[in-house]
Amino acid sequence: MRRTLPTAAAILVAMVLQVAIAPHIAIGGVVPNMFLLVVVTLALVEGPAAGATSGFVAGLLFDLLGTAPVGPGALVLAVAGFIAGALHAHMFAEGWRLPLSVLFITSLATEIAYGFMLSVLSAGGPFWDALTHVILPGTVYNAVLAFLVYPWLARFLRRDPQMTTFHRLG
Amino acid sequence: MKLPERDTSTGSSALLAALVVLALIITTVYYREADTGPVHSLRRGVKAMTAPIASGGEVITRPFRSTADWFSGFGVRREELEVLSAQNAELRATVAELEEARQENERLTDLIGFVEAREFEAVGAHVIGRPATSWEHVFTIDRGTDDGIEIGMPVLGANGLLGQTVLVTGRSATVRLLSDRRSGVAALLQGTRAEGIVSGAIDGPMELEFVSVDTTVTIGDVVLTSGLGGVYPKGLLIGEVSSTQAADNDLFQRIQLLPAATLKGIEEVVVLVGAGTIPDLGGGE
Repeated sequence: MRRTLPTAAAILVAMVLQVAIAPHIAIGGVVPNMFLLVVVTLALVEGPAAGATSGFVAGLLFDLLGTAPVGPGALVLAVAGFIAGALHAHMFAEGWRLPLSVLFITSLATEIAYGFMLSVLSAGGPFWDALTHVILPGTVYNAVLAFLVYPWLARFLRRDPQMTTFHRLG
Repeated sequence: MKLPERDTSTGSSALLAALVVLALIITTVYYREADTGPVHSLRRGVKAMTAPIASGGEVITRPFRSTADWFSGFGVRREELEVLSAQNAELRATVAELEEARQENERLTDLIGFVEAREFEAVGAHVIGRPATSWEHVFTIDRGTDDGIEIGMPVLGANGLLGQTVLVTGRSATVRLLSDRRSGVAALLQGTRAEGIVSGAIDGPMELEFVSVDTTVTIGDVVLTSGLGGVYPKGLLIGEVSSTQAADNDLFQRIQLLPAATLKGIEEVVVLVGAGTIPDLGGGE
């Protein structure tokens, strides 16, 4: 219960940023996914259960904000949160390279899975076109953004109060 | 190095399985329910709730966007550039409209008593939200059902057709751009009157499809709505041909278009009320 409030706050802030800021920092039509950054960070500091739950909620909000079918985003982000959380449980290290590598890989896998689901549902266009024009540029953009915000976000969300310095977190 | 924490992996897996099933159920319900169903209603609620947030973002980022626009037009005075751009866009639209009117006049002068009514009631709106994901080309305006907006109404920018309303709440509406992959517009080439379908693409510019290889198409040809299907009224400016190609055995040409109106820099639009309320070929919400 003590962790519910920061988690809910982080997802709400992600929603506000996704609606109000993300469209205006889009590069070439590629919009960063704030929900993904928050979900993977939550998963890395909280584990697979929190990652899956927050991923489902954030993904559902992501779906509801758009005009595409509702559900694929929730499914994909729930799985992404679970996998990132499982990585946390088995191989988390106190450095910045590993979490950011996980973020990059999870971002790529999430975008691919979401694009594939939209293609299956005939709502997203040819998958290979999406791969080169949305998925790969989006992954790179998310990774760059994660590099900038992950240390601060992890500091806000992590459970261990002693881990407060940028260096140890980052 | 942090030692692994003993996670209740079985419980987590069961939770994930339950969430996946729930997501699939939501997707199924979304496809099977009517527009008044719970998932669609929830989406309208979220849209209504986030419209003011999007509007706030639009206001907050406006100075930064103006600065970026100023830098992009570096070398020419900003006021001068704005005036020239506006004049150019207005003239191009006027020329296209006049040419269309001239050809239309020629065709119709022999038809005594035939008058095609093209007077629509229009509602002005501000753009309050831009595309929030990379997967779709939509934007939000500050007019909704309270202002007479319905699903399926054409939306125009200063230079031409932008798209169609696909989701409407009381005080806001979501507009799907022509460049969205799910958009489809019955169109014709102004010069040859050849008809086709303009559709958006996720990987680049709009395309005019189903135009025979026997039709002569040149770069710069103006493309207008044909009015077929009843979705969009006839004669709205869509754009102009930017490239065309066809292989030896193709039945149809591959024609790419430069849109007359894009969302970049647009802050006000016009919704044609009563012009048509049929969702486009991609389907409405």
